[in-house]
Amino acid sequence: MDLPLKFINHRIEEYALQVTYQPEEDAGDVIYNLSLVRREDLEDAIATLKHAYAAGLCVSDRVRFMNPGEETGGFIIPEGCAGICTLCSITIDAILIRRGVPLNPLGGGVVEIEGNIPTRFTTLIRYEHTTIDPLQVLISQEVTSVSGVMLHGSGTILANIRECHMEAERLIGDVLDELAGAGFTGILDVGVPNTPLLGVPPAPEYLGVALVGGTNAIAAFREAGKWAESRALKGLMNIRDMVSIEDY
Amino acid sequence: MSFTRSERKWLEILRILSETTEPMGAKRLSELMAERGFVLSDRAVQYYLSELDDMGFTWKVGNKGRLLTPSGIAEIECALVEERIGFVISKLERLAFRSTFDPRTGTGDVAYNLSVVADEDVEGVSAAFDEVIERGMGFFSRYGIIDQDPRIPPAHTGLITVCSITMDGVIQKAGVPVNMAYGGRLAVRDGRAEAFADLIGYRGTTVDPLQLFISAGLTSVGSTVATGTGVVLANVRQVPASAQARVEEVIALMRDRGFVFPVTMDTQVFNLRDDPYRLSIVAYSGMNLIANAIEKGFTFRTEIGGGTISYAKLLQ
Repeated sequence: MDLPLKFINHRIEEYALQVTYQPEEDAGDVIYNLSLVRREDLEDAIATLKHAYAAGLCVSDRVRFMNPGEETGGFIIPEGCAGICTLCSITIDAILIRRGVPLNPLGGGVVEIEGNIPTRFTTLIRYEHTTIDPLQVLISQEVTSVSGVMLHGSGTILANIRECHMEAERLIGDVLDELAGAGFTGILDVGVPNTPLLGVPPAPEYLGVALVGGTNAIAAFREAGKWAESRALKGLMNIRDMVSIEDY
Repeated sequence: MSFTRSERKWLEILRILSETTEPMGAKRLSELMAERGFVLSDRAVQYYLSELDDMGFTWKVGNKGRLLTPSGIAEIECALVEERIGFVISKLERLAFRSTFDPRTGTGDVAYNLSVVADEDVEGVSAAFDEVIERGMGFFSRYGIIDQDPRIPPAHTGLITVCSITMDGVIQKAGVPVNMAYGGRLAVRDGRAEAFADLIGYRGTTVDPLQLFISAGLTSVGSTVATGTGVVLANVRQVPASAQARVEEVIALMRDRGFVFPVTMDTQVFNLRDDPYRLSIVAYSGMNLIANAIEKGFTFRTEIGGGTISYAKLLQ
């Protein structure tokens, strides 16, 4: 008989246990998302990634591009396609957990941005209620306008939220600062204890931390009418196998 | 935040206005707000309405009352995310309660989904619906057509498919508490349902799970009806395990009336976590009809849980 389906909150914790990345040394394994684009569109995709990174809509500056036939996590990039590995925000959850922050992943959804300021979640799917990554289903609902945010600071993007215990507030601040220093620009907003963050209330004594989703650049690319597929597959990759998008 | 408290009230005003096509005045709004637990004077409602006018969500139709603007309609789908998580399920529960269908007499109302289809596509969409029904992968053996409804614009037709929430209404009225748990993608091989590919709980999302699966292109209803193998939509609801006999009786009566379910029913079904105290009832969703048409390239909008309609009318 099949094993019972795994819900995303548990899957995130399992991924998080495998991350070995140390921001201070900029070394170790991180979690990535794999997306596919047409090979002839790769130049455009790189331009979109750069633009999205500059607008603060990527988890970090690190990427890896893969050619047809190359294999990652048991998946072979199909003929005619290019694979794009971008950093998944679970990497940040993992680092917080490893530093001892009590953390519960809450959910993924769509956040409205007005004048470069995140205002609220307009869509949310809670991790403990789903076996499929919310952002993977939401990217194809035509509910984002990531390009709007890139071009004039207003629109909607993919994002996720977790809650951390307020006892760890200082530690969270330290870790996030460290991460920002290592090229992790995807921190969207950090709340105050016992107060809803972007419309999502945390548990008592907890505070919310919202991060941008790892596939916003791909969402922007799709909004431009290009074909792109965000694979459900996530995997583990050494950060040294990735390069900065700014090098392109 | 006190801001959230008032936001809660004006969102409820927007919701009430979204359920009517005629302009509504402050007095009637204040009555309807009170029914929903928000006791406000007419004057307080006036105050909220002028605030909503300023925000561009409502407009004044002479002195007849207020109507929603397009951005007001959009706002209902955006505001207060946390509360809307509960709203997906409570909207369905309201419909379940209003489904008065009595399988013994074949009278009363059933809940439906309303698809608004352009006239030139009706034939193609109907053919797609028929395929699913023939294969027994819908929830009911027929669907209805309406054209006279304020929700249907000119040159369009309304296709009415029976929503499986009807079952919850019937089970409830038999005295059994029922809980709509998940919308899922069910893998079928050679005509036999094998395992869930994904589940999304109704209590954990602001968007209907089945709608999400359809628009994410994660169904293959077309290939399932053609070859017997693919991925279709199904719902899981749960009742106390001790209610099994009563539920089986209801199901037998409903099957005689043209309903097609369950796929299976047990305390351990497919790859769901088992629970010895809860009986899971798996049923193919009426949305499989819609998914099949969407997969074939038709584009149209479907409101899940559009309302209730008399069973007799549906058979006409």
